[in-house]
Formats: sequence, C-alpha cells, structure tokens
Amino acid sequence: MRRRSGKQVFIVLGVGTLVILLASVFLGRYPRPYWMPPRLLLEDELARRLVFSLRVPRLLTALLLGMTLSATGAVLQMVFRNPLVEPGFMGVTQGAAFGAALSILWLGKHPLVIELSATLFGLIGLFGSYFLSRRLRFGGWVLRLVLSGVAVSALFSAGVGILKYVADPLTQLPEITFWLLGGLWGVTWQNFWYVLPFALAGLLTMFLMRWRVNLLSLKDETAFSLGASTNRERMVLLFASVTATAALTSISGIIGWVGLIVPHIARRLVGASADTSIPVAMLLGGIFTMLSDDIARSLLAGEIPLGILTSAIGALLFMYLMISMGIKVRA
Amino acid sequence: MDHKAIAAKDVSFAYHEGGIRVLRDVSLDIPAQKITAILGPNGTGKTTLLHLMLGLLKPGSGEVLIFGKHHGAYSRREMSQIMGLVPQFESIPFNFTVLEYILLGRSPYLKPFQSPGKEDLQIAEEALTSMGIVGLAGKPVSELSGGERQLVHLARVLAQRTKILLLDEPTAHLDLENQNRILNLLVELTERGITIVLTTHDPNVAVYAAENFVLVNEGRIYVEGGLDTVITPENLSTMYNVPIHVENADGHTMVVMDKNG
Repeated sequence: MRRRSGKQVFIVLGVGTLVILLASVFLGRYPRPYWMPPRLLLEDELARRLVFSLRVPRLLTALLLGMTLSATGAVLQMVFRNPLVEPGFMGVTQGAAFGAALSILWLGKHPLVIELSATLFGLIGLFGSYFLSRRLRFGGWVLRLVLSGVAVSALFSAGVGILKYVADPLTQLPEITFWLLGGLWGVTWQNFWYVLPFALAGLLTMFLMRWRVNLLSLKDETAFSLGASTNRERMVLLFASVTATAALTSISGIIGWVGLIVPHIARRLVGASADTSIPVAMLLGGIFTMLSDDIARSLLAGEIPLGILTSAIGALLFMYLMISMGIKVRA
Repeated sequence: MDHKAIAAKDVSFAYHEGGIRVLRDVSLDIPAQKITAILGPNGTGKTTLLHLMLGLLKPGSGEVLIFGKHHGAYSRREMSQIMGLVPQFESIPFNFTVLEYILLGRSPYLKPFQSPGKEDLQIAEEALTSMGIVGLAGKPVSELSGGERQLVHLARVLAQRTKILLLDEPTAHLDLENQNRILNLLVELTERGITIVLTTHDPNVAVYAAENFVLVNEGRIYVEGGLDTVITPENLSTMYNVPIHVENADGHTMVVMDKNG
C-alpha cells in the first residue's frame, strides 16, 4: 500500500479546500450558466446580494456538512471497530430526519427547534442501534451493527412515512418531501449561525481526540490497560459527533454515503492512524460536498437534490473501492 | 520495594450476578521482579484472573491489591503506568503500521488531547530494538505473520514501561525459535526489575521461564509455589487428567506425557 506523508497530503487538501471554496463563489447560473466574472461583484448589486446572502452561507454550510459527516463516519467506524458504518447506517440520519419532520409538523418551524428535535432523535437512533446490536445473539460484530442500524433506520423512515401521510398535502408535505431529498437550497445565514456552534463543537472534539480514537479502536481490555476510560471517552466522542451531524442534517436533509466513503479514501491516502486520517477525512469531505453542491446547483436549470448526487457518486466510488480491495471487512 | 506485586485474598467472581462462579476463594501472591506462570487447562479462569488483576473486572467478594493498595487508590492513568496487558487474542481492526501501533503503548503518559511526541517515538523504537523487529516498523499490521504479531504486541506493552506485565498465553502462536526468544527476553526483563504474570496451558513454557507457579483448576487454586512443590507428576497428572512425568535432563526440568499410561 502506498502512503504519502500526512503533511504533504494535508497541505494539498488545505489549499484545495480554499481554492474550491473561493472558486465556488463564482460558480452558478447567474448571470449565465456556470461562471460569473468576479468583476460583477463590484458592478452588479444583484450579483453582490446573490453571492453574499445566498452563495456564501450555502458554501460554508456545505463545507461544514462534508467535514462533519466524514469525520463522524471515521469516528463511528473506528470506535465501533467496523469499517462499514456511517451516520446513515447507524440510525442517526433517519432519526434526525424523523425528528426534523416531527418538528416541521407539530413542534414548530423555528430552525433551532427543528435542529434540537433532529439532534435528539439522531442520538436516539444511534443508541437504539447500538443497544440492539449488543442484544443480537448471532453473527459477527460488523454484521450485527449493520443489521441493527438498518432495522432502526427502517423504523424511523416508517415514522417519517406516517408523518408525511398525516401532513397537510399543500403546505407541510412538499416541505418535508423536498427536505428529505437532501439539499442546501434554502440555507440562510441564520441557518448557518444556528448550526455553527454544534458543528464546531463536534469537529473540535473529534479533532482534539483524534489520537485517542486509535486507542478506542482496540479491544476493550487493551484500551483499558492503556489507561483509557473506554465507555466515557466513547460517549463523549459519539455525543459530540452525532450532535453535530444531526444539527447539520436538520438543514441539509438526508445526505448519504459521504460519511462512509470519505474515511475509506482518507485511510487509503495517509494510512489508518486517526491522528492523520481524521483531519484528512474532514478536508476531503468538505471538498467532496462543496463540489457535489456546486454540481447540484449549477449543472441543470433546476436544482438536483444534493442527497441524490452524493448517493450516486458515493455508491459508485464504493463499488470501485470494493472491487479494488480498498475495503477489507472481516464479518 | 514491596516483595508482593499483586495479592489476591479470597477472591470470587461470576460474570453474571448469581451465575456460575468462574473463580472461587482464590488467594495468591505474585512476587515482585519474578515471572509467575499461571498454569491450567483451557477454560479454568486463567484469563479472568488476569482481568481481575488488571482491574477490568471487579471481584464479587474478596480483594485484589496492587503493591499493597486497592485499584481504587490509583487513577486510571497511574494504573496504566504500573500494569500493562497483552491479551491472548489482540485484534487490530484497522491497518496501522507497526510503529503507529506500538506508539499506542505511550498513551498512559499523554494528556487527553495529546499525540505522541519525539520522546515517545524514541521509546517505541527502543521497544522495537529489544524485540529485534526494527525492520518491521513501517509495515502494516495486516501483513505480519502470527509470530511477528506476537512480538509486535509485546513491543507495544514494553513501550508502556510498566512495572508489571500481564501476558495471556504469550507463546501460544509461536514457533520454537520465537518462543525461546520471547521467554529469554522475559527473564531479562525481570532482571531489570519488572514483574511478569503469564498464563499458559503448556507446562514446559512455564518451567522454562518462571520461578513461581500457580496451578488453577476449575476456578480454584490447586497449588502454588516454587518449581519443586508445584511441578510434580502427581499435581500435573491430576490437573490435566493424563498421566504426566517430570524428567530431569542436564539440569533442565521437562514435563512429558506418559505414552504408556
């Protein structure tokens, strides 16, 4: 396996993130498809408003979303010793979706209320999957966790189905449906500011504890003998990462596959140690999601839901990685 | 230094409340700076005993003392600087390099948000050197052979720089050469003041390296003490349920199965 030095990869990705962030400001369909000449920012009032009140918060949210989903995926994979988990497979995303839909319907549409409700149900989803898998009496750990996650997710998506059924078909239903497809078209500065603290807290926790994540990927008795308070440290990491993921899901809807595929690519690039693979996953995830969102809002006259794009690209990459043996699982 | 590194007094333990007691009224002393071998057939509670010493499991009744004090008297961090463990089936689910893995042994000395630094790297490299596996440093753990793996696990616990090493079946996957190398190294470690507790189901491994022996059978201490008291044909034959001879050849004690019964 080839491994590049972590520092090199980090610099390339860091610069890449900034370049893509800046370039994406000028990507879009105004005044004509694909590229807006930068001088318009000085000349055109509409362009200025478009860029600063729509595109910039949207881009920053895409960046946060990608970083959070990928880092959370990496942390879940290592902490659960299971390379096949991601927030979407662990009941987190579907739980958050249920919480958000519930909120749109009954609890109130204030972004903060939606966010908190999404977070609460995201956490319920994660712990539900986890405890269910501990009670299964067959199959390996990898299989049990994936099965439990699938079952819990299915339960929540059935819940979302019921909510859709009872929703007002003229006002609430379209809102829930579009939101579920996953996308960032409605993102405002207000949305961004509300998720920023949750996202930053989660990202910072994962970044600071990244080396400990290696420790937590070992068997419990080994981690214990090395001084880790395994349960407490796992809880801190899971709580921080899932809170961040659920908060972002409350504005983005369901964005799948990023959290599964990006950590695998990161480990391929710089090796398995979370010390380097988590920061690299964060940057790669940010880039992946920003680029996907660029395509989502620019490619066609109508917007393509981001969730559909990431699923398509992610699933294709996953197939490629499986075939090329980049993913090894002992079930 | 206290001559007893670990002491267990009347320890009983069951994995489930009211369940079968895996260990019953176990009392034993682990002398400091010696190798103690815990011997016994498979499934007699050897690993459970190690986990109780480590503090991972808490005795249902009785007490375990480390250098005269309860586990509670030490913080998690202090404890991990005193005692290290190599489990029998150490699985490494992600493909770290050998060096990255060995650096995990430095965790007891790092702050919560700290990654290993230059000094830790140096200690990890020393551990590689003393195991004679410097060449493996950059290799992914998935590419190691069974024997190399065991050497790497030991290097990880050496990097932890603890006074006590708990080794669960340290020679189980090794060929004779590697077995020899590891046992000699363990003897050398005791000369540097380290206390070693190892479990094994192979009496010859115990006899080769250990000075103190504990025979465990069906959750009880059958007998403990020095070579002459413990390693006798009567004790071993009863324990393993097969006729066993203890022979003396060139000053080495050897345990052999009796073919003729």
